[in-house]
Amino acid sequence: MKKGRFASAVAAATLCIAVAGTAIGSAHAEDLKIGALFPLSGPNSAYGDIFASGANLAAQHVNADNMLSGRLTIEYEDSQALPQPAVVGMTKLTEVSQVPYVLSAFTGVSKAISTLAQRSETVAVNGGGVGPDLAKLGPYFWNVIPLANLEVRAMVPYLADQGLKKIALVYVDDPLGQSILDELKATLPDVGGELVDAMSVPTNTQNFSGIAAKVRAANADVVYIASYGAQQVQIAKQLRDNGVEAQFASYSGFSVPEAMKLPEADGLLFTTQAVDYTSSDPVTKRFVTDYEAAHDRMPSAYVANYYNAVRLFALLAHALEEKGEPVTGANLLAERKATKSFDLVGGTVSFQENGTLLAPIQVNRVEKGAPVALTTVDIQ
Amino acid sequence: MLWLQLTFTGLQVGALYALTAAGFSLIFGATRVFHFAHGAAFVLAAYVFYWAETTGLGMAAGIVLAALAAMAFGVAMDRLVYAPIQRHEGSFFTVFVASFGIGIAVQNVLGMVFGRSFVTISTGLSRSVKLMDGVYVSPLAWIAVACAGLFFVALLLFLNRTHVGMALRALADSPELIRAYGLDPRRLSSIAFALGSLLVVPGAVITALGSGLNPTLGNHVMLISLAATIVGGIGSIGGALVAGFILGLAENLALVVFESQWTEAVTFAILFLVILLRPAGLFGRHATR
Amino acid sequence: MQAYLLNLGVLISIYSILAITLNFIMGYAGIFSLAHAVFFGVGAYTGALVAMSLSASLFVTVPIAMVVAGVLSLALALPALRVRGEYFVAASLGLQVLAVTVFSEWKSVTGGIGGLIGIPPVDLAGYQIYRPAAFFPLALAVLVLVLVATRLLVHSSFGRSLTAIRDSESAAESFGKNVPLIKTISVVISAALAATAGVLYAHYLAFINVESFTLDTSVLVMAMVIIGGTGTAAGPVVGAALLLLLPGLLSYMSFLPQTQIGAIQQIIYGLGMAVLMIFRPGGLVGRSKAKARPRPQDPDTQAQAPASKPAEATR
Repeated sequence: MKKGRFASAVAAATLCIAVAGTAIGSAHAEDLKIGALFPLSGPNSAYGDIFASGANLAAQHVNADNMLSGRLTIEYEDSQALPQPAVVGMTKLTEVSQVPYVLSAFTGVSKAISTLAQRSETVAVNGGGVGPDLAKLGPYFWNVIPLANLEVRAMVPYLADQGLKKIALVYVDDPLGQSILDELKATLPDVGGELVDAMSVPTNTQNFSGIAAKVRAANADVVYIASYGAQQVQIAKQLRDNGVEAQFASYSGFSVPEAMKLPEADGLLFTTQAVDYTSSDPVTKRFVTDYEAAHDRMPSAYVANYYNAVRLFALLAHALEEKGEPVTGANLLAERKATKSFDLVGGTVSFQENGTLLAPIQVNRVEKGAPVALTTVDIQ
Repeated sequence: MLWLQLTFTGLQVGALYALTAAGFSLIFGATRVFHFAHGAAFVLAAYVFYWAETTGLGMAAGIVLAALAAMAFGVAMDRLVYAPIQRHEGSFFTVFVASFGIGIAVQNVLGMVFGRSFVTISTGLSRSVKLMDGVYVSPLAWIAVACAGLFFVALLLFLNRTHVGMALRALADSPELIRAYGLDPRRLSSIAFALGSLLVVPGAVITALGSGLNPTLGNHVMLISLAATIVGGIGSIGGALVAGFILGLAENLALVVFESQWTEAVTFAILFLVILLRPAGLFGRHATR
Repeated sequence: MQAYLLNLGVLISIYSILAITLNFIMGYAGIFSLAHAVFFGVGAYTGALVAMSLSASLFVTVPIAMVVAGVLSLALALPALRVRGEYFVAASLGLQVLAVTVFSEWKSVTGGIGGLIGIPPVDLAGYQIYRPAAFFPLALAVLVLVLVATRLLVHSSFGRSLTAIRDSESAAESFGKNVPLIKTISVVISAALAATAGVLYAHYLAFINVESFTLDTSVLVMAMVIIGGTGTAAGPVVGAALLLLLPGLLSYMSFLPQTQIGAIQQIIYGLGMAVLMIFRPGGLVGRSKAKARPRPQDPDTQAQAPASKPAEATR
C-alpha cells in the first residue's frame, strides 16, 4: 500500500514539474516570433540542419538591419519529416506559441499541417518539398520553391536532347514519389520518350538488390531516382553495386552533401531551381558572402529558399508595421497578395495566384562530390 | 532470368536471416527467454565493426571486436536483466517487455553516437560480378551462404558432440537433470546467450559491408528472426535456419509478382498462416493445445 | 500555457482510452496483443471517411467505427482460440505489420502515406468542436464512458469468467465456461472501444496517416499499460499520462541538445520499462514485486509448472 502511494506521489510530482516547466517557455509580447517545422532528428535530420542554416542567417540579417520593430526569433519544432509529429508540433506552434507564420518542409508533412494552417489562419511556407499537391493546399499555404512538376519538365527534354529516352523510375511510395511518377508519365510522350518501368519502394526499405535486378531487366537509358534522405543514397549505391550502369537522374532532393559525396553518384544529373550565386544584386551577394564565411562552403538551393522564406516574412511584417496593422496570418496573406514583387535571393520574384513562385530550373551534374551547373531552363 | 537473380539475392539475404534466427532460436530454446533485444545485439555488432573499420583498426580486428561486443551484450542481458526478473516473477511477458525496452535504448544510443542516417563501408566485395546474362552475384553473397553453412555445421557438432552442447539442449526440457549431472544451469544459460549472440556477427558484418547500416535495422532483423523461429518450429535450431532461408527467398521472389512494398507483408502473411494452420512450424516439437 | 495543457489533455485522454482497452485484454484476460494500434487506426480511418462522406456527427461516426473494428478484430481472435501466449504475440505482431502495409497501400481508402487531410470537425448535436478548449471536455467524457464501461464489464459475471480464464484456463473450462467464445468477445470489445479513440484522434488532428498506427504505437500503448500497472483501473491512465508528458518535460530542459531529444526520450522509456520489469513488474500503480502480471494462459503452463519451479528456485 505504501509503495502504491509513493508511486502515485512520484507521478503527481512529475506532473507538477512538467506543468511548471511549461511556464518557463513563454514568449515576449513585443518581439516577433515565427515557427519552423523541420526534421531535427531521425534519418532526415541532415535536411533540417541545412534548412535551419538558411533561416537563421535570414533572421540574423533582419535583426542586424532592424527591419522590424522588435527582434525576430524562430521557434523550431521537430517534425522528423513525418506527418504525425509535424501535426503535433504545428498544434503547439499555432495554439500555444500562436505564431502567424510557419516554415514547413517535406511534401507529406506540409499536406498534414495544411488543414491546421487553414483553420488557425496561420501562413505556412514551404521551401523544401516539391510535390505538386503543395500548390493545392489552400490560400494559407505558400511555396517559395518550384515544384517537382517543373523540375521534371526541365529534366525530361534535356535527357531527350542527349538521346536518353527510355527511363526507369525508382520512386518512394509517398506523395512526392507519386507526383514524380505522374509527371513523368505526362511529359515523356511529348519528347518521344518512354517510361519503361516504375518501381515503388516503401519509405523504410534498406535493401534494393531485388529492385536492381528489375532495373537491369528493364534496359533503360536513364534511371530516375525519386526518393530523399538516406534512402536515395542507398538506392544509388546498391544499384551501381548490382550492375546497373545506366545514367542516373534525380531531382533537387539529391542536392544534399551526403548524397553528392557518394562515389557511386558521380555523373548523376539532377535539377534544382536556378539560383545564380554569382549575381551582383545586393541581397544575393550578402547572402552568399555571409553564408560562406559562416559555414565554409557555398549555399545550396534549400538554404536560399529558407533564407527567402524568412526574408519574405520580414518584408511583409515590415510593411504591416508601417501601416500600423497587427502581424497576423490573415494580414500577411492580404499583404502578399497586394505586393507585386519581392527582392529575394536569386532576383526579383512574384507570386502566382496559387501561392507558388515561378522560377527557372537548372540542370546540374555531380562531379567529384560537388554540383556543376550545366544549363538553365525557363518553364512557363 | 529475373527469378534466378532473385533466387541468388534471396539466398544471400536468407543466409543472414538464417544465422540470426538460429541464434534467437538457440537462446529461446535453451532458456525460454524471449530475447527481443537480439536485434539490438545485431546492430551493436554491426556498428562496432563499422567503427573499428573507420578508425583504421582493420576488418579482422573489427570482426573480433564485434563478436566480443555481441557476446558481452548477450551475457549482460542474461545476468543483469533476465536473471533478476526470473528470480522473483519470470513471466514470459515481463521478460519480453524488459528485453524490448533495452532494445529501444540501445538503438537510440547507437543513433546518438553514430547518427541516424545510413552508413556503409566501401569495399569491393559488394560489387556484383556478372555470372551469366541477367544474373549478378557479389562476393558477399558467396561469403554469406558459406558462413551460414559453416556456422550451422559447427553449431550442430557443438550441440551434439560436446558435453556443454548436450547440456544446453537439455536445459529447457529438464533443468533438474542438469543439476544432477553437476552442471550449473545459470552458467549454461549464459553460454546459450553468448553463443546465440555470436551468431549475429556474420550477418552484421556482411550487412555493414553490403547494404549499409542504420540504427533501426535491429527491428527488422528481430522480426524476421522471430518469424523464422516460429515458422521453423520452436525448439528446432535447424528449423529456424531453414525458415530463415525460406523467408529470405520469399521476400525476394515475391518481387516477381508484387511491388516491393508488399514484400514485408509477404513475410508476415507466411508467419500468420503458419500460426493459424500449423503452429508447430516445420520441425517444431511443441504443439498447441 | 492553458492551450498547451488542453492539447496535452486531449492526447492523454485519447491514449488512456487505448491503454484501458488494451489492459482489458492483457490484464484481465491475459491476452498479450501487439496489434492494438491496428484497431486505433481502423477506428480513425473509418471515422474520418464517414465524417468526410456521410456525416461528421459523433453519433454516426463512432458506432460505425466500433462495428468495423469489432468485426476486424475477429481476424485476430481466430488465432487467440488456438495458440498459447508466445505464439499469440507473434500472430498479433504479424497482423500489425500486415495492417501497416495495407494502410500504406490502399491509397484510395487511406490515402497511403499522404494520409487523409481535411477531416471535418466533430459535430455534436449541431455544435462544431475542434479547438482544444472544446475538444478536451469531449475527449474526457469519452474516456470516462470507456472507463465506466470496462469497470462494469470487469465486475460483471463476464469479467469474473475472464479472470477465471486468466488464472487457470483448464479449471474454467471444467466449470463449463466456453473459453474460446469468452476470449473472442473480450477481444472484440477491446477493439471496438479502442476505435472510439481513433475517431477522436482523426477529428482532433484533422489529418491521419499510417505513421500513427505502426508497431511503435502498439508498443507505446503496451508500455503505458505495463508501466502504469496491468489489471488495475488507474494504471493505464497513469501510464498514458507519464509517457505523454515525457517529451514535453524533456523539451523544456534546454541543456539537452534539441536534435537528440527524440532519442533521449526513447532511451528513457526503454530503460524505464526494463528497470520497472526488474524491480516492480506490477507497474507504478500495482502491487510491488507481486505476481501482478498473469502468465499467458495455456494448459501447458499447468503441466510445465512443476518442472519450471525448481529451475526458478535455483536460478
